Amino acid sequence: MPAMSQPVSERTRIHRHPERGAHDMATVHRVLDEALTCTVAWVDDEGRPRALPTIQARIGEILYLHGSRAARAWKAVAAGAEVCVVATVIDELVLARTSPHHSMNYRSAVVYGRAREVTEPDELRAAARAITRHVLPGRENDAAEPRDKDWRETLILAMPIEEASAKVRTGPPQDDEADMGLDVWAGTLPLRTVPGKPTPSPDLRAGIAAPPYLEEFRRP
Amino acid sequence: MSDAPTPRTRVRRLPELGVYDRAQVEAIVDEALYCHLAWVADDGDPRVIPTIHARVGDTLYVHGSSASSTLLAIKAGLPVAVAITIVDGIRFARSMFEHSMNYRTVVVFGIAQEVTDPDELSRVFTAITEQVAPGRSADARPPTPDEIRQTTIVKIPLDECSAKVSEGFPEESDEDLALDVWAGILPLRIAPGEPLDDPLLRPDIPRPAYVTAWHRDDVR
Repeated sequence: MPAMSQPVSERTRIHRHPERGAHDMATVHRVLDEALTCTVAWVDDEGRPRALPTIQARIGEILYLHGSRAARAWKAVAAGAEVCVVATVIDELVLARTSPHHSMNYRSAVVYGRAREVTEPDELRAAARAITRHVLPGRENDAAEPRDKDWRETLILAMPIEEASAKVRTGPPQDDEADMGLDVWAGTLPLRTVPGKPTPSPDLRAGIAAPPYLEEFRRP
Repeated sequence: MSDAPTPRTRVRRLPELGVYDRAQVEAIVDEALYCHLAWVADDGDPRVIPTIHARVGDTLYVHGSSASSTLLAIKAGLPVAVAITIVDGIRFARSMFEHSMNYRTVVVFGIAQEVTDPDELSRVFTAITEQVAPGRSADARPPTPDEIRQTTIVKIPLDECSAKVSEGFPEESDEDLALDVWAGILPLRIAPGEPLDDPLLRPDIPRPAYVTAWHRDDVR
């Protein structure tokens, strides 16, 4: 096992397609960094599952999430509810000769644990910069940093990336031997999230050019 | 806009973004390539996995093989939450705090039931194949009864669901409008690359048009 690998807990064990499981931190980190958004799941007061999409950012071994103070969801998470965060990157569609062997080449990471609310000003500032950078590196040096009043509306949560696993599928379709003679095209179709032409805000002051980092957006 | 079906599907944060219109919910579900499926495990903690889905009428079908040990254990049905996120663009504000994304999300709550009827399963396989690559189901060999039995598909009625749609330009205070920072939208879309033939593909089989012309959304 690689030195960076995580202890496998019962819930990070990959039961289905265990060959796709990855417990090394480098893979988990890369997925969290590349996925634009994630979904946070928790269990509500009535024992029912809840799920909410949001934006994440990672600094080292800590996953930062941000949410509205007004939302019940984030109150529960900030209060220490057990959460499960999943982020997914789709790399390719996998078109097999047979319908049940269709798949996707994807990378997903799941992080389990509890989050704490960030209150210390330096950590809040670092997290806000990291979330901005997560979306597009370079932007964190242009945009105005949050003011004290902003933190009355938004909270930042920090979660240790300790109990985590990744799942990765790569490669061509895996059809059964008996199906290899079918007259059907098989292969993969790579997908990317690509940027279009930047559209300036109607109230943008004249003379402010689109920054060069807009053209550098690449996912994955 | 019609009323929220239940208190938990009411959009509390930025309620002006809440969309309960059926057609809009369906359009988001149909466009998304994957979803995040959350449930409560035996230990009382949340679990969430990425998986693929398809809608047939008022029913959301989700490929549940990755969660099958839990799903199969509960014949009475399993309460789940499904989150679907489509990112349409990045909204660059002058201030870090007002940065956001233009996105469309749907959250569905309900009791997931395993699909056991062979005819229904057969229709679902077609629907899931079409969800990923429209046109593909006419080519790929349909599943055999054995293959159908080996796959776990669950269905969730699209009763309790809501969408949240965020679009447009950043709205900032007069103070921030004066900053020397570019503001606007970077539209994003999923774009296919060059298809990769299966290394074992018979050389006489051409790439079908639905692969070479695959596209997801048109720029909104």
